[in-house]
Amino acid sequence: MPASEQNQSPDKQNSLPDDTTHFGYKTIDKEDKVSMVAGVFHSVAKQYDVMNDLMSFGVHRLWKRFTIDASGVRPGNAVLDLAGGTGDLTAKFSQLVGKEGKVILADINSSMLNVGRDKLRDKGLVRNIEYVQANAQYLPFEDNTFDIVTIAFGLRNVTDKDMALRSIYRVLKPGGRLLVLEFSKPEYELLNKAYDFYSFNILPKMGELVAKDGDSYQYLAESIRMHPDQETLKVMMDDAGFEQTSFKNLTGGVVALHKGYKF
Amino acid sequence: MATALSKITSSLMISQVLTSTLEVVINKTLTLSANNTSLEKLTQKTLMLELEELGFPLSFSVCNTTEPTQVVVTTLTEHADCTINTSISTLRELKAEQQITELIKQNKLDLTGDIKIAQQFASVAENLDVDWQSELANHIGDIPTHKLIQLGKRISAKLQFASKQINADASEYIVHEKRLVVTRSQIDQFNHQVAEMNEQVDELEQRISQLINRKTNQ
Repeated sequence: MPASEQNQSPDKQNSLPDDTTHFGYKTIDKEDKVSMVAGVFHSVAKQYDVMNDLMSFGVHRLWKRFTIDASGVRPGNAVLDLAGGTGDLTAKFSQLVGKEGKVILADINSSMLNVGRDKLRDKGLVRNIEYVQANAQYLPFEDNTFDIVTIAFGLRNVTDKDMALRSIYRVLKPGGRLLVLEFSKPEYELLNKAYDFYSFNILPKMGELVAKDGDSYQYLAESIRMHPDQETLKVMMDDAGFEQTSFKNLTGGVVALHKGYKF
Repeated sequence: MATALSKITSSLMISQVLTSTLEVVINKTLTLSANNTSLEKLTQKTLMLELEELGFPLSFSVCNTTEPTQVVVTTLTEHADCTINTSISTLRELKAEQQITELIKQNKLDLTGDIKIAQQFASVAENLDVDWQSELANHIGDIPTHKLIQLGKRISAKLQFASKQINADASEYIVHEKRLVVTRSQIDQFNHQVAEMNEQVDELEQRISQLINRKTNQ
């Protein structure tokens, strides 16, 4: 399927019946998405870091570092690393907020959370990190709790993204900010074509070889195409109440970092 | 031009490549250092370096949430206990703790915040002592290390020789063949003539003032 057809406009997405959503290119009942996404991540959790390095040629580390640099984190801050997976952002935030600060690594998937917890403990990072299994749509935290919320490569897997953004807005302190790091739409046509070829022809085979799960990586490629593009996500953040929203394209727009404040 | 450069730098995430490389090198060096380089006094302190040649700052934060204590390098600007604004060429001099005040006097660096933080960071850098040769030998063996070091020395010597040769040839070409600049002896001769003229002007000045004095006394 060409990229132009794959990137659906918000109108197209909104044209879905209220009780259905996307799972890659499939249209499914909303209530089934959580368990289907969970299945994908239970399956890939143990090989997640290796696959991330392989798939992105290690560049995901730079994207995450860029997110940290854009976060404005200070010692003593309270940070929520949502859909934090194996804890790459949490590890860095934990060092930067210090003993007086706090980082909560939250993920809906228990397998990912377990892999993340083991990895961070092995690195000696135990002092200021808490682990919470949570759905981004229903965050189990009080209003105005966090200085920073990040969600890296997680928002596209959330069933109701608007609801998740509103939930994040609620738990942010006034003056706090949300950073969304997510795959997006490449800025250049040539890059777009090369990226499509890579995603649909090479990525699933890599997944089959390394993680013994080609279907999950087929879902990854499809879910990226179904995710809102840069401008659409920015509008969604505005609608959820965020102010001074902006985005920065990384690696030619393959990934974008969106940022918005709560005042 | 500057905006385009900044866009490219940002798009290629050059600052993130640099900070991650620096972070790995610094923490590895701290681990390998034979001297006890304690970072305890610097825990939760951040030193920000603003280098004229870079378009972004480098923040070095000493973190107390891991064992051993580690340095995290970012481009964060929100929090710094001490900020140093200088150039890459001055960086090497910064390593000596007592040099900082001297460099400020020479206007080679601007410092805002707590100078003690900068001095303590400099002290840690000054005390680092890593035997890179034996570290390399641990990884690739003694003989390859010895050969590699010898090769390095030979290349370094050749590069130094080539550099001297290029300087000499360039100087020969510019001074004697193209005559674009004057020789040292010509400069000396010119300076001597200027000095002589100075003396003559002084003498003339004295004679004039004597004549004026004599005229006014009459």
